[in-house]
Amino acid sequence: MYGRKASELVKELASSEPGQLSSFNNDLFAQVLEECNGHLHHLQPLMRKIQEHENKLKDTGRSEDEMGNSEDERRKSEAAKTVIQAAMKSDQFGALVHHLSLVRNKRCLMAYVYNRAEVIRSLGWMCDRVLPAEIEERLSSTEEEYFKNHAATLQSYMGGLDLDLTVDMVPPKDPYIKVRVVDDMGGVLLGDQTANVARHAIMFLRRIDAEQYITQGQMEELTG
Amino acid sequence: MESGAGESSATADDYESLMSTTDAELLKRSWRNEKAAPEILKFDSDLVLRSRQQIQLMEEMVEEFTRNGVDPLTVSLYQMDLDRTLFLLRSYMRTRLQKIEKYVFHIDKTAELWNRLSKQEQKFAKRCAGDLKNHLEQSVLSKLPDQYQSYLRQSAASEDDDMVPEPKLDAYVVCRSKKYLGAFQLDDGGDEPVTIEADDLYALPYKSIKPLVETGQIDLV
Amino acid sequence: MAGPSELQASAFSAAELEFLAEDETIEIVPNMRMDPLNFISGDFGPFRPQIATEVPLWLAVALKKRGKCTIRPPEWMSVEKLTQVLEAERDSEKFQPLPFHYVEISRLLFDHAREDIPDIYMVRSLIEDIKDVRFHKIGTGLEIISKERTYALRLKNLSAMEANIVRPFITRALETFSKLSSSEMIQESDHVPNRQPQAMNRGPRRQLKDR
Repeated sequence: MYGRKASELVKELASSEPGQLSSFNNDLFAQVLEECNGHLHHLQPLMRKIQEHENKLKDTGRSEDEMGNSEDERRKSEAAKTVIQAAMKSDQFGALVHHLSLVRNKRCLMAYVYNRAEVIRSLGWMCDRVLPAEIEERLSSTEEEYFKNHAATLQSYMGGLDLDLTVDMVPPKDPYIKVRVVDDMGGVLLGDQTANVARHAIMFLRRIDAEQYITQGQMEELTG
Repeated sequence: MESGAGESSATADDYESLMSTTDAELLKRSWRNEKAAPEILKFDSDLVLRSRQQIQLMEEMVEEFTRNGVDPLTVSLYQMDLDRTLFLLRSYMRTRLQKIEKYVFHIDKTAELWNRLSKQEQKFAKRCAGDLKNHLEQSVLSKLPDQYQSYLRQSAASEDDDMVPEPKLDAYVVCRSKKYLGAFQLDDGGDEPVTIEADDLYALPYKSIKPLVETGQIDLV
Repeated sequence: MAGPSELQASAFSAAELEFLAEDETIEIVPNMRMDPLNFISGDFGPFRPQIATEVPLWLAVALKKRGKCTIRPPEWMSVEKLTQVLEAERDSEKFQPLPFHYVEISRLLFDHAREDIPDIYMVRSLIEDIKDVRFHKIGTGLEIISKERTYALRLKNLSAMEANIVRPFITRALETFSKLSSSEMIQESDHVPNRQPQAMNRGPRRQLKDR
């Protein structure tokens, strides 16, 4: 069935998690492109035939004018016209089917690339110009190129503005938090100094200093 | 479009609220509206300029405080205020960029929208459109038959640009007015106005309240 | 994860709503002396021991965390007021008036100013109950104020968090209603499947029944 592969391509897009990329489906993509060219192969001869029918109709019309208009001849020529018109209609519908299938396939291919491009741009906000290898291998080569170009475009805008827009992605919080020391820790690195902390001590630390100890379970954040 | 009772009485009241509204407040409003509106709004260049000046002044002040040994509590509080304003500014600019990215071809060919961008955003949009066009051409369009290679039209037989993604202006938004706006006509042909009370929330189609958003009479939330 | 996009169906993230709520003002009683603060967001203070003053919530919480003040919970956060609200909320289809950011404000205070809230357990459970009751009547408590050509909904007294939660649902539902009520759309959809007719709200309409 025409257009089935293209719709699979779009379904694949629709079923992936928002903001996530699956591997570029080169195989399916190439098959849809091939189908497009197949439509063209059908389309071209049909368009030629339609043109021929049109010419023939014109000819019939002309010969009608030239010839006398005996009842018999007119009837014959009408019949011939009807036959040509019927043949033309069938070719026109055939052409339309191929044209519409081609357009539909184009839209699906474009939707696939366009929507992936949207995700690729959003990655640009998270990774600074270099994509992690496991993501990069899911891109097609033109997508990799696009990522680089777009990242450069973004950099150039921010450079002109003299304002980095890739930080502060979420609203700011108090840079200091209250923590309790859970473990015997000995020396703790705070900024560029080391401090000795006792177990169960309650301290007020910079969030960025405390975060590693909290994730390691050596400190806990206190609220209230 | 609107036939509100509140509109004509916009005098002393408005002036007062305008004078007492801080740039931080205005920036927050622009940020909210931009985040909630389906289309890109007019870039508020004066406001952004003023906000950036204030941010710079404050950054210098915080540095000076630190040098002069002002107590760390005060310094950290000023820093927090600064961080909040910086966040609003960045998020505002970012939201706009992402709308430009998303609808770049539509913005590029629509003068009204194009003129809502700052000079820098226009430069960004041009490059952005070029990048995306190249990408689409290399990935898809160059591999299609001649008559089907346009990125704006489905085929050479299309009568207009029928492949350009546009924001949905009839999308619904949630909005609120600080003042009583009275009876408001939702769309041009209709004969059933809705009454917009002060401080109440409404879910309305964006396109019918668009003029009120642009004049600042209604806020998107 | 939806990526770092600023453009989402729900418009604001929970963190962004909290950020907005932090600008609401609240009364504190400082226990120290500090000069006025001339912020970009406004002027606050001066701060004198035992003299109450109004500050934005974020500042109140920052001072509280550093042990520099006590926070006076807002009037609506008393057991008495909340009990009234809960009862009214249960008795009526309508939403009771509460501060636009009541969910975020109460959460911030529970997290950071526990000892400043009298009867905190009671207060907390009342607010939880109110949230529940309100959430369950979102389907019934919203008033359709126009359905002639364009649907319009009044969300009277809905809070920021509630509006944000229902936003994706109600906006999509209203868009669908609008489309269905336009018979022009139904006719045109046969031959223009990919485009929305410009004037989709005009023309004769089918009446949808009220709920």
